[in-house]
Amino acid sequence: MASHLPPKSTTQHEQPASAGMAAEPHAPPRGLKRWLLTTNHKEIGTLYLLLSLTMFFVGGLFAMVVRAELFQPGLQLIEPEFFNQMTTMHGLIMIFGAVMPAFVGLANWMVPLQVGAPDMALPRLNNFSFWLLPVAFTLLLSTFLMPGGAPNFGWTSYAPLSTTYAPPSTTFFILSLHLAGISSILGAINIIATILNLRAPGMRLMDMSLFVWTWLITAFLLIAVMPVLAGVITMMLMDINFGTSFFNAAGGGDPVMFQHLFWFFGHPEVYIMILPAFGIVSVIIPTFARKPLFGYASMVYATASIALLSFLVWAHHMFTVGLPLVAELFFMYSTMLIAVPTGVKVFNWVTTLFRGSITFEPPMLFALAFVVLFTIGGFSGLMLAIAPADFQYHDTYFVVAHFHYVLVPGAVFAIMAGVYYWLPKWTGHYPHPQLSRWHFWLSVIGANLTFFPMHFAGLAGMPRRIPDYALQFADFNMVTSLGAFLFGASQLLFVVVVVMCVRGGQQAPAKAWDGGVDLEWTVPSPAPLHTFETPPDFRPPQH
Amino acid sequence: MWRVIASVLAAFFGVQKESRRREDFSRRGAGAFIVVGVLLALVLVCLIALVATLAAR
Amino acid sequence: MRMRKRLVWTASGVALAGSAVARASGWNMPVGVTDLSQDIYGLHMTIFWICVVIGIVVFGAFFFSLFRYRRSRGAKPSRFHEHTTTEVLWTLVPLLILVVMAVPATATLKAMYDTSEADMEVMITGQQWRWRYEYRGEDVSFTSNLATPREQIDGQSAKGEHYLREVDEPLVLPVDRKVRLLMTSDDVIHSWWVPELGVKQDTMPGFVNENWVRINEPGTYRGQCAELCGRDHAFMPIVVEAVTPERFASWLDERRSAAAEAAMGLDREWGMDELMERGQEVYATSCASCHQPDGSGSPPAFPALAGNQALMDDRERHVETVVNGVAGSSMAAFRNILNPVDIAAVITYERNAWGSETGERVQPSAIAERLAD
Repeated sequence: MASHLPPKSTTQHEQPASAGMAAEPHAPPRGLKRWLLTTNHKEIGTLYLLLSLTMFFVGGLFAMVVRAELFQPGLQLIEPEFFNQMTTMHGLIMIFGAVMPAFVGLANWMVPLQVGAPDMALPRLNNFSFWLLPVAFTLLLSTFLMPGGAPNFGWTSYAPLSTTYAPPSTTFFILSLHLAGISSILGAINIIATILNLRAPGMRLMDMSLFVWTWLITAFLLIAVMPVLAGVITMMLMDINFGTSFFNAAGGGDPVMFQHLFWFFGHPEVYIMILPAFGIVSVIIPTFARKPLFGYASMVYATASIALLSFLVWAHHMFTVGLPLVAELFFMYSTMLIAVPTGVKVFNWVTTLFRGSITFEPPMLFALAFVVLFTIGGFSGLMLAIAPADFQYHDTYFVVAHFHYVLVPGAVFAIMAGVYYWLPKWTGHYPHPQLSRWHFWLSVIGANLTFFPMHFAGLAGMPRRIPDYALQFADFNMVTSLGAFLFGASQLLFVVVVVMCVRGGQQAPAKAWDGGVDLEWTVPSPAPLHTFETPPDFRPPQH
Repeated sequence: MWRVIASVLAAFFGVQKESRRREDFSRRGAGAFIVVGVLLALVLVCLIALVATLAAR
Repeated sequence: MRMRKRLVWTASGVALAGSAVARASGWNMPVGVTDLSQDIYGLHMTIFWICVVIGIVVFGAFFFSLFRYRRSRGAKPSRFHEHTTTEVLWTLVPLLILVVMAVPATATLKAMYDTSEADMEVMITGQQWRWRYEYRGEDVSFTSNLATPREQIDGQSAKGEHYLREVDEPLVLPVDRKVRLLMTSDDVIHSWWVPELGVKQDTMPGFVNENWVRINEPGTYRGQCAELCGRDHAFMPIVVEAVTPERFASWLDERRSAAAEAAMGLDREWGMDELMERGQEVYATSCASCHQPDGSGSPPAFPALAGNQALMDDRERHVETVVNGVAGSSMAAFRNILNPVDIAAVITYERNAWGSETGERVQPSAIAERLAD
């Protein structure tokens, strides 16, 4: 999530030229201009990760406000109107500002290093797609200052609450999502171009690391669904400002159509946020089990199946809107099907551990916690797939528990695992072992304390997105709030670990983890600004 | 052709043998796999829809 | 072997105790009082236990490997990385489990969708932020508002037992009758949810959804709006009172005569004091949640009424706004919600409270004429 500034070009040439270095030094611009104008994949990766970390804390702050209000029944701190703005912005910032840029940042840093490319295929486009994001999120956050406040209709923005009944700032929200969407599409194009064109000579697709594979598939998903999001929010824009009635029944439109379009984007979006996490974990577990990934081919095939099926399950978010029976059955069956390849992945990770030689460095700890806690999120997902039962689960805290389990101890833990795994490569130092263990255990305890009681609150009947609740939910909410404060506070420790790691610590060799097999471990640590300017000597690993 | 269909079905199922995978990836071009993949995806949709229609009766 | 047996017994004992606790303590989905809610509960517990069993196997293998194959224990890595039979097997088994699960789920879903042969119909309309119930063909309809006093929400008085889950008028339904529920909305999407009835259905503006319920036991069942519908989403509870069919019939009669009484007085001139008194009551239940008890509103969404000179100068617009609402805003058309006497009273109240004192009275007969057009 954050990283070391790659060393200045003057020093890098003192490093052994094992991986091919720039022949001539060139003076990069210094100061702000260096970052504004950079086309280097490592610098842009760093920028993405820093932005993501910032947004993680902004979105986290909103979550803390929400949890503080929900600590006890009654309205104590904030008005319901502001509460709704908090939940909405928490969702938007975390999804579009924290999780997605973190994965793009990791891809920027690691995809070229793992495929043996000197940089991303389209470096200037890369710069552009990053700098769209700060603009987008400044615009989004500025809505707090506008009359009527920020968007308050939930990140799902169901019409007509988000159109006819929305605050005036909604137009700015739409614009900022457009910018973020363009950034994602351009980033995805860049990643696909890099993977398909710039692999080291001799590296076939099936020789690539799972992280690269999952990102390749994710990038195709992004290109397929981001335009759908753009379309649906443009229809919102038209309904709000130009008098159309796409989602207004009085004008012949249909509010359910909004949900179909939104979830046709929204469900693949869920997999956009989890497939790269699968990739990171599939790289880390073999490294620390010192054993090749079990069923590499199946993992790739399962990822592809999940990506395909993710287009066929969108209406399971809409079981209660009054779909016809046939549609309910179709989406129930297809949703059950998607559990199968997901299960295959979990089985493969467990079998990779079986008869390995396992050690528990910080990246491995986070990856192992991912496997267990993501699986718990998968189980509640399986329960939600049963359409009749979903009539009871839908729009309750059970759903909130489900998607937070797959996103926080799921996606976010995988991102942290990735950061701990590659920090030695980025900074040349190992992260502080004791502090990172503390960070891990506090995060695991905090996350479970936060999200596990939500299952009970939901089953007991607590709807989501409410600022005040009936007394029978009080105990669950108090535990959840305490857990949330613990989880939030322990992320400050993460910043401490990263800053310490950038500034010093135990020196890491080129091959920072003895079980690492991918190409990034052949370049020095810290990775010089330019790597693989002459293609590396690639020998296919035994997958 | 059967090999291509079998491989695509294996992908749908999510399990493939290393040796079969090697053979598939030593073929030149992915065109056949993509075409068959899209077709079989349509078949899958129709199949689920058919089951749903029958079950809803 | 004996060890394993003991483990199995302990595990099933814990499981049974666990499910008993879950059933009794409000940690789990309620079993409910309809056949369907009980079917749903059965599906929920079945899939839950399937997940538990899979979880024990997977996490068991996981933690066993972590423990047994630690490097610090001297584990040497094996190199195996493929076994097609195992992979096919562990793909097929979950597939089969899911097929087995899909069969009862399909049956329950079909039952939920069978709204035919109902004994009676209730139209449920969501409005920001109250529910409106209309007994079709019975000439009985009313709105149901949150009854929890504001002081409890703000923490100025102790919270009652049914905090936020109490209403001024509950939906009364007969037991052992199939009731078709027609659902729609006047503004945004709401969702009508009573967990113990196993019914959750979104109310879509401009569309009518159908659901049904047949309650097996008399009692009071509480729920609330489940779909984010704006500011007071947390404050639109649902209370269903299930009574015997005989009591239901007599309740309908009472309700009809009470409604007639409330609407009486269209033919006479109303005095200022009685209009103001009635207007204050109506304002408190129907208007104060948005326009605030002191008429200050919360602009820009909810304009102030107190000191709103433009409104006080334009009586026609005031009446029009209350009667027909404002399209594209949260202001509902109260012609469908209040009777003419209440509308006249509340307009009179708004034009004479908070220091406005226009001295104008709006007569119920005038409103009734307007509604007849």
